[in-house]
Amino acid sequence: MNVKRSLAALTAAVAVLAGATGCSSNTSSGVIDTKADKGLAVLGDHVTYDPNHLVNDGQPIELGYWSWGDASTDPVITMLHKYEKIHPNVTFKISQVAWSDYWVKTPLSLKGNKNAPVLFNVHNSQDALLRPHMAAYDIDLKDLEADYTNVETHVVDGKVDYIDSVINTGNIYYNKTLWKQAGLTDDDIPTTWDEFAEVARKLTKFDGGKMVQAGFNMNGDGRYDGLWQGLNYQRGTLMFDKSGTKANYDSKATRENLRFLLDLYEKDKVGSVKFGDNSEQSFGNGQTAMIYAWGALQGTLETKYPDIDYGVFPTPTFTKAVPFAYDRYNGESTPGINVHQSDEQQAVAQDFIRFMLAGDDYVRTAVKLQNSFPGKKSLQNDPEILANPVMAAIKPRLDRLIWPGPTPSTLESSPKIAFQNVFQNHQNIAKAVAAAQAQIETDMKGSDFTSLERMYRHYDEAKQD
Amino acid sequence: MKRHTIASIVVTALLFAPAAVTIIPFIWMLVSSFAPNSEIVKLTGGVFPTPSTIDNYVNIQDRFNFMRLFANSLFVATLKTVLIIYISAVLGYVFSKLHFRGRNLLFAMVLATMMLPWAVTIIPQYDMMVRFGWLDTYRSLIIPGLVSGFGVFLFRQSIGGISDEIIEAARLDGASDWRIFHQVVLPMSRNSIAALAIFTFLWNWEDYLWPFLMITDDDKQLLSVGLKMFSGQYGTDYGGLFAATSVAIIPVVIVYMCFQKQFIAGIATGSGK
Amino acid sequence: MSAHNAAAERGGTAPKPRTRLALGDILSMRNVAVTVLIVYFAVFMAYPIFKAFAGSLHDWNPLTDTYDWVGLANFRQVLTDALFWKSIWNTAVFSFFSILFRVVIGLALAMLLTSRLVRAKDSLRGLFYMPTITPLVAVSFVWMWMFDPQFGMIDKITGLDISWLNDSKWAMPAIIIMTVWKDFGYATVLYMGGIMSLPRDVYEAVSLDGANKWQTFRSITLPLLRPTTLLIVITSLISYLQAYVQILVMTGGGPGTDTYTISYLIYDQAFQKYNFGVASAMSVILFALTGVLTLLMFKASGDNLEETR
Repeated sequence: MNVKRSLAALTAAVAVLAGATGCSSNTSSGVIDTKADKGLAVLGDHVTYDPNHLVNDGQPIELGYWSWGDASTDPVITMLHKYEKIHPNVTFKISQVAWSDYWVKTPLSLKGNKNAPVLFNVHNSQDALLRPHMAAYDIDLKDLEADYTNVETHVVDGKVDYIDSVINTGNIYYNKTLWKQAGLTDDDIPTTWDEFAEVARKLTKFDGGKMVQAGFNMNGDGRYDGLWQGLNYQRGTLMFDKSGTKANYDSKATRENLRFLLDLYEKDKVGSVKFGDNSEQSFGNGQTAMIYAWGALQGTLETKYPDIDYGVFPTPTFTKAVPFAYDRYNGESTPGINVHQSDEQQAVAQDFIRFMLAGDDYVRTAVKLQNSFPGKKSLQNDPEILANPVMAAIKPRLDRLIWPGPTPSTLESSPKIAFQNVFQNHQNIAKAVAAAQAQIETDMKGSDFTSLERMYRHYDEAKQD
Repeated sequence: MKRHTIASIVVTALLFAPAAVTIIPFIWMLVSSFAPNSEIVKLTGGVFPTPSTIDNYVNIQDRFNFMRLFANSLFVATLKTVLIIYISAVLGYVFSKLHFRGRNLLFAMVLATMMLPWAVTIIPQYDMMVRFGWLDTYRSLIIPGLVSGFGVFLFRQSIGGISDEIIEAARLDGASDWRIFHQVVLPMSRNSIAALAIFTFLWNWEDYLWPFLMITDDDKQLLSVGLKMFSGQYGTDYGGLFAATSVAIIPVVIVYMCFQKQFIAGIATGSGK
Repeated sequence: MSAHNAAAERGGTAPKPRTRLALGDILSMRNVAVTVLIVYFAVFMAYPIFKAFAGSLHDWNPLTDTYDWVGLANFRQVLTDALFWKSIWNTAVFSFFSILFRVVIGLALAMLLTSRLVRAKDSLRGLFYMPTITPLVAVSFVWMWMFDPQFGMIDKITGLDISWLNDSKWAMPAIIIMTVWKDFGYATVLYMGGIMSLPRDVYEAVSLDGANKWQTFRSITLPLLRPTTLLIVITSLISYLQAYVQILVMTGGGPGTDTYTISYLIYDQAFQKYNFGVASAMSVILFALTGVLTLLMFKASGDNLEETR
């Protein structure tokens, strides 16, 4: 083939394509809003929102919102659409970026980029990275504290950049179909880890030595990295030392718990490192009977695996007695406002935040999508919410859930590596744990994080080792 | 003669083993792209899932703006390929046929860029793009990568092989270097053009990190980034991923088909002969 | 060297004596190309390199606007970090085996493909080059699924029960297998180019001497292909020292830290932990390492690309 001709053809094809794509990118339809009086009621108890006003003087405006979730996992998206209905001159441009990519991309993009979002999904583990780029909420702190729990944990210099919408924690998700097949009933739901191991054994199946169904699966992200914290708390061991700045991963509790988990795989044989790389997927595909997971799994299961019939029960404990804490909790954060965006955009974003926090819809949706307990006080005794078995399970435990603060992500990524080293690489537990501890300390050098564990109401009961 | 035929069959058959290893992953991908998810993740069953649906292909357009990303990638990769070829050819000519002080030093510097890890420059270049206000523009994707050490090297080798008499003759006729380059040298370099076209197109088609960092606007995003994001968001939609991957491979295959003949010859020049 | 001589020889003919500066002279190809190149170089190469060196001496986090002088602290941290050395070792293993297999398989297939015995040369050659022209991200995905211990085809075909990407013994070999599969075609094509341009008369001479095929290969073909081999080894080395995409997609450095390569570690430090200073220190070390290894390669081969022209 003639090189020149091929090149010419290619160039022509590109020109056509460029033309075609150029035409299709029409900018958002510019609706001008002139009706300030929407005829809507004022929302809220202490934080209030009066929808009957114009935003951005009624002029069309487009706002970016970034999230790692979609409408089935991120409650903010529902609220954005509701807001667009009230204020038709506002259009939101919603971008979804997968979790791992989100943290590479978002912090870097916030600054110096006119297309950067003015609103973005926040996770408190990335607090230190995001904080310099967030504008404080323009809402009176007293009002916020009157309506929401745990606001005080987010106050910096008398202001908050985000608060908790719901309180998330880990539970055990189980496949009801496999549960029945194994001859188990609701009475078999375990409350101690020993009972749990027993049930898991019944839920494991082999086909000529090869596992075809796992009773309990910890492979992949989001399992051990969360579980180790809860298990340590159950044994009364804190994540950080007294100073609150030095991680306490290399502890007796960590080693005992790893041994316990390893025994589940190697002695009880209820799971295997060879049984797939991703327990969430395996659970969704009906090949794993139980996994430990946080609330977000709910949305994932609904969108990706709608056919799975599953139930949830509270994470077991080592003894029947009330532990130091059942697990750690983590607030799901409300969105952040990008301080580098234009004043017009920020003003609308502030208005949106007020709208979202004043009403109940946001938290109600968050409870449903994330299987987490409401952070809004007016909803904590809501009969409809408490009808959900997970909420009913969390409510009595609420007093015994601890938050260590917006812990740096190395507290999850480094233990995950220790887990892999022990389970897959058969490394000595003490050695793997010590290596992870060293990695955490390296990563936290220069971090000004201080644990909030001392704010926990039962802090004094913690073991001092 | 007969022995020759038998040997020929044996050697050809011998080559089919590596050929099979080469092609099976593609076939597996293609077959799987027509299979529903439940079939792909089945723990028991044959090596290949049973194809039965075209839904995966229909869905990729819904899941993310596939055609748009595809067109964007095609545009950027092609434009960049054309520019890099032209610039490399110009520099190849300058470094092989023109004389000036510091020529070797400058050429050594261009060559040294081949050894420069992406990691060294990516952070400062990111900073620079922010300061230029080039984020979210194709300028940021195209301009920083226009001088290719590999391309200049390839053209310097091949143009160096063109005899000086031809160029001197043209020069005596009063032709400028620009004219000599365009009318004499460039047409004689088609093999190098082909070789560089394939490599450059591929490298730009598959480039992931830089576009990911530069482009924020979903409508301007490139396919390789979209593909990775798709896997992050819909990691469990294997069929969809197989389908998207299959389509993503097509343009590179076409470019390769177009330039295959010249490509081999071009590579021969570059390999130091 | 040879360029200098050539310049000296032709020195008399190049610049014409001029009386006044014409626009055409100022805009001559040489002036335009060299000026543009130098400016471009200064902006997009020299400045970033300088900045990377400077950055490696600072505690640098662009997100928190941190840029504080720390001297050699970053280098000290990197050089005493066990993970850094493990990544270097992993990179060495990965590069060595990938290059070895790439060269051996590439050469073997090129010999077969250029032999007069083979039929369907063109289609086979096209086929072998397919993986090379397939985007790496896509290839990594496909192989990730192929390595899946539950429904991947590799375990199904071979009857093995290996959790390839999750087993510390197999994760690196798995990545090497995938990389070799993707890249051997490049070596094959380069070798084919090299073989086809070998001088025929030498072969005719040795065939008269009665040398057998293996002897001919050992004593004639291999030495004559040395420039090609050198080119393949050096370009492979440069690209494998920088490999991270397959790691990012397939293992994320795991299991544990068993597939961390130096470039993946840099990616991790820069874009996941935002320690730009430490990442810069690592990339400066990587740059030095690449330079030294490339020079050593030239030296060891007793060859010089300049002379192979």
